[in-house]
Amino acid sequence: MSKLDKTNEHEEHTPSSSFSREIEKEPGGADIQHCIQCGMCTASCMVASVTEKYRPRKLIQKILLGMREEVLTSELPWLCMTCRQCEERCQEDVSLAEIFHAVRNIAAREGYIPVGVQKVVDTVMEDGWMLKDGYSDFIEDDRDDLGLHTDLGWNNEFVKKIKKRFIDGGNKK
Amino acid sequence: MKEFVLYTGCTTPVRLPAYEASVKIVLAKFGITLVDMKDANCCGAQYVESVSHTAFAAMTGRLLAIAEKMDMDILAICGACSGSMKTMKHELDNNKKLLKEVNEVLAEEGLKYTGKVEVKHLLQIFQEDIGYAAIREAIVRPYRGIRLSAHYGCHVTRPEEIVQVDDAENPKIIDKIIEIAGGTAVDYVGKTRCCGGPMLGIDAELAGKIGRDKIENIRNENVEGIITACAFCDLQLTQVQIGDDASDQDKIPVMTLPQFLGPALGVNFSSLGIELNRINPQAILQG
Ligand code: SF4
Ligand code: SF4
Repeated sequence: MSKLDKTNEHEEHTPSSSFSREIEKEPGGADIQHCIQCGMCTASCMVASVTEKYRPRKLIQKILLGMREEVLTSELPWLCMTCRQCEERCQEDVSLAEIFHAVRNIAAREGYIPVGVQKVVDTVMEDGWMLKDGYSDFIEDDRDDLGLHTDLGWNNEFVKKIKKRFIDGGNKK
Repeated sequence: MKEFVLYTGCTTPVRLPAYEASVKIVLAKFGITLVDMKDANCCGAQYVESVSHTAFAAMTGRLLAIAEKMDMDILAICGACSGSMKTMKHELDNNKKLLKEVNEVLAEEGLKYTGKVEVKHLLQIFQEDIGYAAIREAIVRPYRGIRLSAHYGCHVTRPEEIVQVDDAENPKIIDKIIEIAGGTAVDYVGKTRCCGGPMLGIDAELAGKIGRDKIENIRNENVEGIITACAFCDLQLTQVQIGDDASDQDKIPVMTLPQFLGPALGVNFSSLGIELNRINPQAILQG
């Protein structure tokens, strides 16, 4: 195991923009200004290796340059698998997974959520978990055969409360 | 005797119950008792996390608080859940404002998270709580050198400084256990790369490409099987070999670590749910 904490001594670099300052204030967005645009993230990224449209370094650059509208309405920040392969290698300790989460949070508040994501969120916030509809009698039998309990007992009250408080109306931080 | 509260997550109980059963039976062999977490909710990983950080914090925070009420540490067996509980624990332990906000909601049902709970991934239980020596001692039916590759799962090992499970760039726990059980652990190109699972909800075609790339890298090493430590990865690495776009080459069986280890400990196949595996793992079991 290496260091317990990040080095925390990285410098800020220009350019910066009101958008990158906005990202900075979101949870997870704090390190964006440390990016030196070296490209190590793109070189490490499996998504970049299977599709030309996704280039994480470029996406960070767009944020630094303040291309707010373009970034928030694009599907690109949602293509990050948050696998964190890149951040283990980024010499500036920038976490792209967290920065893109911050971008998505802002995009979501402004109503830009990919359909696939919205569907899963709706399911989870209704049932309390993801796979209620997938839990068939066959699977119940398999669980029974394995000596596992069949009443999974998920709580769906809490998520409803959370949805009301933090997601609906879209504008609570 | 050690006790943990098991948080299965959404995926394992429905899509990979054999993993849940194998975890329980194999850990019991080493004197570790698991208590199911009741009345739980989805940890919020990835999806809720993407739309509201605070909602995500509350959902994961609630799981930590339930465990705290039970006075037990948490065992997570899925990378997504262990990743979100570990990173959110780290955040809540260091961000009083967020903690307060979460605890305000939790208080309505008499729950509170104060930081007492630890979150462990299954690999840590093997390495830290059981230890390699005890595993070695418990092997009664060793494998005979079968060649196997390990896939760890991104959120199991990264970010290393927070999850503290293994060396993120060169993880070794699964490999060590393969060797202890009598197998031969085989490295391959891109070992720490993602399986593509997290891409499924966004772009299934890209997810398939990423998963199949991993399978081909593993295939190049002529191994008989893949050993996993995350339900999501296990399902994805299986699915990309049997779905519509799968190549027509031989399928490489995928097994979770406890399901692989069980037979070497003398556990019978049926209690490990071997017959539920979608790619028949006989090649592994006979090696
Ligand atoms: S690896 Fe880090 S510093 Fe380099 S471009 Fe990517 S985020 Fe910026
Ligand atoms: S965290 Fe995102 S940008 Fe980084 S390597 Fe993984 S998919 Fe690519």
